Amino acid sequence: MIEVKAVEKKFGRKKILKGVSFTANKGEITCLIGINGVGKTTILNAIMALTPINKGQILIDGKRLDKTTFEKITFIPDVITMLPQMTIAEAMEFMNDFYTCWNQERATELLEFFRLNLSDRIASLSKGNTAKVNLLLGLALDVDYVLMDEPFSGIDMFSREEIANVFTSHLIENRGVIITTHEVGDIEHLIDKVVLLDDGIVTKEFSAEEARENEGKSVIDVMREVYKR
Amino acid sequence: MKNYLKLVNFEFNRIAILFSALLGITFVAQIVGVIVQSRSYLSMANEKIYDEMMSKAQFLEIFGQMSFLQIARSVWFMGPIAFCIAGVGFYIFLIWYRDWIGKNTFIYRLLMLPTTRLNIFYSKITNILIMTFGLVAFQLIIIPIEMLVMKVMVPNEFRRDMGVNEIVSSMPELGIIIPTSIVELILYYGAGMLVVSILFTAILMERSYRWKGIFAGLIYSAVAAVVLISPVFLHEFVLNGFFYPIELLILEIVMGLIVLALSVWLSGFLLKNKITV
Repeated sequence: MIEVKAVEKKFGRKKILKGVSFTANKGEITCLIGINGVGKTTILNAIMALTPINKGQILIDGKRLDKTTFEKITFIPDVITMLPQMTIAEAMEFMNDFYTCWNQERATELLEFFRLNLSDRIASLSKGNTAKVNLLLGLALDVDYVLMDEPFSGIDMFSREEIANVFTSHLIENRGVIITTHEVGDIEHLIDKVVLLDDGIVTKEFSAEEARENEGKSVIDVMREVYKR
Repeated sequence: MKNYLKLVNFEFNRIAILFSALLGITFVAQIVGVIVQSRSYLSMANEKIYDEMMSKAQFLEIFGQMSFLQIARSVWFMGPIAFCIAGVGFYIFLIWYRDWIGKNTFIYRLLMLPTTRLNIFYSKITNILIMTFGLVAFQLIIIPIEMLVMKVMVPNEFRRDMGVNEIVSSMPELGIIIPTSIVELILYYGAGMLVVSILFTAILMERSYRWKGIFAGLIYSAVAAVVLISPVFLHEFVLNGFFYPIELLILEIVMGLIVLALSVWLSGFLLKNKITV
């Protein structure tokens, strides 16, 4: 389980996170939702120790992040994490070199799934294909948790569908996923848990299925209630 | 250790083009320099001997034989060396900033590698060292080639042949980059690495705290400089030459090791706890 406990973060004098707390379980898809600038990406960066927090604590399976945690959790940001001059094959080789949890078989499967070419240079890829390479490099790791930052942002409809298909496949099964997205519609039916953020705090944390079954509301309905208050 | 070596190899592959370019520029400029300097000497000799009817003996008495030092002191020789030093100096900053700036967001991957983040620091500083030693070694290899070109161009009686050692010892500025003893090598390159480690720490301060980090980096660099010169300062101005030279050297080495250890520790702390992508 990923536990984010009372996390506070300031950029200069501006407090972006004012005590954010939530949990994300293994085997569930947790979606962080909030308007731009609310601190969704900052939360993901903080979980991966890519930015320091001012207060609070983040635990992954009860432990603070250390170097070994990166064999257990991966982050797929909305920017490419490899050198643009690398080919996809070189990027995969790099991952294989450094991560013992790299699963070459799955990487090949993802390569075919996304119809990517090994010899293509990352710099020459479209935004959609760059996002797919990012997903490939993250999902081919045999990790327990996957963090995804806006995987659908600025991507064409067909690529979005392909990426959304990943969530219903075995590639995600049994893993804990935290995803931030504006395009809730693309994956609404797949989300297990929703964390709504506003003004640096969690305004609502709920199970998407319970909201559907007990209240007959979709995630978007609940969002409307919370944000249009 | 394995991950450190992999990172060193990876970082080296990234500088391979820049490194090869520096080697190429050095080689071409220095060879051109040998040709230009030799031809200029020979044309002067021809002018004096054939046009002004000066005897060979007279010419040699007035203008002397040509030695490699004339080439080594020219801009053709020292220019590329200065260019390489500037290149390495520039690279000390580029080696970090290129992972953050523009479309390069490789720092995400580097910081998410399942290895201690200090290995990033070690691999980058090792590459600066490899690059420096590589350039110096290349310089030592091409000097004999350049001498050979000079030998081919300038007749025996007009030139004075010198060994690499003799050239280096005749030029103190060259002696810094090509030390003639192992102690000098350790001291000069140790001091160089110390400066690089201070700069790396200052860069990481900037990357961690941005604007405030620039000031912190400048203050840290100034404090490190004060600590490093404090033994010499005390020796000269407070204790009126109290220390023997060897004691002063040992004190300087101790101060250098303290600053180095502090830089490494601080860099490790910043990379682990304060860095921001």
